Amino acid sequence: MFVKLCRLAAIAALALPLGAQAAAPLAAIQAMLAKPAVLCGRFDQTKTLAGMKKPLLSQGRFCVVNGKGVLWRTLKPFPNTLRLTRDEIVHFQGERVAMRLDAKQEPTVRMINSVLFSLLSGDLGKLDTLFEVDGSVDNGSWKVALKAREPALAKAIGAISLDGAAYVRNIHLNEASGDRTDIVFSDIKTGEGAISAEEAALL
Amino acid sequence: LKLHRRFALLWALVVCLLIGHNAYLWGSGRVVPDTDILALLPVQERDPVLQQSFSRMVDAAQQRVVVLVGAPDWDSAGRAADAYQAVLAKQPGLLALTVLGKDTERDWLAPFQHNALGLMSSAQEAQLATEPPQFWADTALSRLYSAFSGPKLGAFRDDPFGLFSGWVQERAQETPVRPRDGHLFVASKDMQYVLLPLVLKPPAFALSTQQAVMPLLDSANAAARAAAPKVEIISAGVVLHAAAAGTQAEGEVSTIGIGSLIGIVLLMWLTFHSFKPIGLILLSIGVGFLGALSVCLLLFGRIHLLTLVFGASLIGVAQDYGIYFLCNRLGADRAIDSVRLLRRLMPGLLLTLVAAVIGYMGLALTPFPGLRHMAVFSALGLIFAWLTVLAWFPLMVGAGSLHSGAFGARYAASIVGWPRLGWNKASLISLTIVALLVAAGWSRLGVNDDIRSLQTPPPHLVADQIKLSRLLDAPTPVQYFLVRGSDGEQVLQREEALKHRLDPLVTAHKLTGYQAISNWVPSAKADAARRALVNDKLLTDTGPLQLVAKQIGEDAAWIAATRDHLQRNGASMTPEQFLAAPAGEPWRHLWLGRHGDTHASIVALRGLDRAGLEQLRHAGDGIEGVQWVDKISEISSVLGRYRMVMGWVVAGAYLLVFGLLLPRYGRNAWRALAPTALASLITVAAFGLAGQPLQLFHVLALMLLLGVGVDYGIFMQESRGKDGATPWLAIGLSAANTILSFGLLGLSRTPALQAFGLTMLAGTALVWLIVPCFAQTKEQIDG
Repeated sequence: MFVKLCRLAAIAALALPLGAQAAAPLAAIQAMLAKPAVLCGRFDQTKTLAGMKKPLLSQGRFCVVNGKGVLWRTLKPFPNTLRLTRDEIVHFQGERVAMRLDAKQEPTVRMINSVLFSLLSGDLGKLDTLFEVDGSVDNGSWKVALKAREPALAKAIGAISLDGAAYVRNIHLNEASGDRTDIVFSDIKTGEGAISAEEAALL
Repeated sequence: LKLHRRFALLWALVVCLLIGHNAYLWGSGRVVPDTDILALLPVQERDPVLQQSFSRMVDAAQQRVVVLVGAPDWDSAGRAADAYQAVLAKQPGLLALTVLGKDTERDWLAPFQHNALGLMSSAQEAQLATEPPQFWADTALSRLYSAFSGPKLGAFRDDPFGLFSGWVQERAQETPVRPRDGHLFVASKDMQYVLLPLVLKPPAFALSTQQAVMPLLDSANAAARAAAPKVEIISAGVVLHAAAAGTQAEGEVSTIGIGSLIGIVLLMWLTFHSFKPIGLILLSIGVGFLGALSVCLLLFGRIHLLTLVFGASLIGVAQDYGIYFLCNRLGADRAIDSVRLLRRLMPGLLLTLVAAVIGYMGLALTPFPGLRHMAVFSALGLIFAWLTVLAWFPLMVGAGSLHSGAFGARYAASIVGWPRLGWNKASLISLTIVALLVAAGWSRLGVNDDIRSLQTPPPHLVADQIKLSRLLDAPTPVQYFLVRGSDGEQVLQREEALKHRLDPLVTAHKLTGYQAISNWVPSAKADAARRALVNDKLLTDTGPLQLVAKQIGEDAAWIAATRDHLQRNGASMTPEQFLAAPAGEPWRHLWLGRHGDTHASIVALRGLDRAGLEQLRHAGDGIEGVQWVDKISEISSVLGRYRMVMGWVVAGAYLLVFGLLLPRYGRNAWRALAPTALASLITVAAFGLAGQPLQLFHVLALMLLLGVGVDYGIFMQESRGKDGATPWLAIGLSAANTILSFGLLGLSRTPALQAFGLTMLAGTALVWLIVPCFAQTKEQIDG
């Protein structure tokens, strides 16, 4: 009985199947990444959705704070904040809490958060447990394609590709449903001064 | 004498047959006692739907063994769990791990997605009714723009308002268990556990299963500990309880058996200074035991371990006949030969047998199959032992072959100065005191019929069970709602009405949630209502879709296309379709389906809070077809009813025995019965004074006490007018042995057996002490 329930959960929330060994290029990519304690910057997101003519553009700021979590603030066209910490995921729609998932209720919260943290900070070693990682290094920059090892998960999130140098520059999410998300990072700052007081208060 | 020789020879033939049959039974391994504690429970003829729901819930639970292997870090937990599993894998026929299939369930959500329009969480359903269009537009927009807004299933246009996601999330929260790295994972605040759901292949209650499984689990535990020293292993399962109970009962069988034997041997040797009487008595008991076993196995085909426990106790009673004969032989004139002596003792012997069999047969009137077997076993044992005494003792114990020892003589002499009851001050005063004490005790007497008091599982099993149910938040198999209706749709509608009443209790933390088929397959009525709600509130031309379209620069065509896309969803599944699909597999036990004219289902409850039980049981009041089922209190109430009934049976048995004694003893018949009756009254009063609540097993013991105690009264009456030394010796020997054997039951850690034992201990001792008080001395009769 548990087993079947869990399969359900595997899709409802992300699951982590058994990992394999990191491939050789990954070590090189890992070496290129800066991995600062605090990383903030601007993002520009383009969503191309099935059944829609125009792509949807949005932009905002993000912060990845080692040991604390991830803050993802969409500023335009609508203020919308996602906060991921060790024990919970909170989604603010403006000021209102639209969704709150805590680890007690949903044990995979911690795993989801660590995956997102790894994704944004480019920590490929951790992602490797969840995805088949296919990477290449070219002239000071790198490129990586991720494919979920768990079929159910692959179906839910599709293919992910990342590229960058010292920091992640682009993320592309290609869903099986045909929806597509492209995120470009820019204006990246690191160190204690990178995070604004307002953001620090939110996280 | 010749006739008796022939009888003895015939009996020898019967005994040879018994020995042969027993040799065959033991040799072919047919004597494997049951240890199923449930076999002790009444088979009730009642509501078949309710019965089916019981067996569904129990079946789902009975063969399961659930093990949690935990460590502070996930890697150690995984390592320990692998080591644990490796040990189990060595014996694949015993415990099978329910494995995580990778591909089989890949598309299990698909059938739901195809009719997702009516699927939403209950919170969202409430919001649909109350929230304004802007709320839903905001929800859709935030889903549109955010990159990581939680789980997404399919494209945006499949679920623009997150209703289906909400539903899936709600379903996921029916269990805290998640797959992780090929294991099942559950976590507490500071421990990470691997869940190993195991299924026991052979039946949990077979002794052989328990003997094989327990060492296997022990070595698996050791292997896990070796792999990760900080590991915590929590295991639970019916088989663990059964094994614990079995070990305990087995241990008690040998203590009671050996203790009883040592007692008998010691006392007999002290009395007769010879081993011959001991040999003879053991012979009669042995024949009784073999005979009972043979016939019982022929009759029932199996035997319960507790029947054997009582079989061991039987030793204490079947000896009465041998002892009575031997003591009389000891005290009788050498001129009388043994066959003639026997003929003289016959009426008394016959009376004691019949009275004891009546006592045992009282057990057969109970609803417990185990106790019925015990009654038959015990009665048969008595009859076989009795016939052995009759057939062989007179031939084997000749006149003058016995000599009394100093111990026996000194004891027997104590009868002379024993206080007697009569019309005098001392008697009246002591009777008044006894009456007052009895009244005081009875007035304080409480009752306790809780089924849980039948068994005391070891504390570590209970602790594990509690931890496990907290971590897994699994539903209880003994308390749930049974929902009935004339068809599946009506059942689903009634489930929904019930769930509506349960939701506030979930909010109030009286329970953490419920499992029901309607969680997965809404009734057609609810489905239609939700679809109407969605169409009405979300999909109109002027509703939230339009607000969204305006924001993202889409036109009326997009609104129409999105609406059409959503409305293309097919009809919802029927419960039968759902149960046949892979997704329905874990829930099949909840749907009882058709039963004659009714359809029925179970609504199971998770994380029940005891404090909320009273409120919960009334949650379904007033909804037609909804019934609260609480197996624990159900059984407890059966126990209580039978305690009452048994009380009347005991009273009736006294009347029956009195009727039996009346023709022989006339107006002195009451003297044979009064000591037992008085001893019973005092014993029960003592429990009242000691604050021990009365339960069924006390009353059963009183029944047995009647069988034993009336023997002593009969012995005394049979030698009316004589000095009474001979019956007094027989009573002393027999009572001491009865106390030894049943007194040891009082040492049992099983509360039910303990209650039984203590009653027998106190009761027998009291009968022994007061039986001479009721016998008339020569002077009293003459005067």
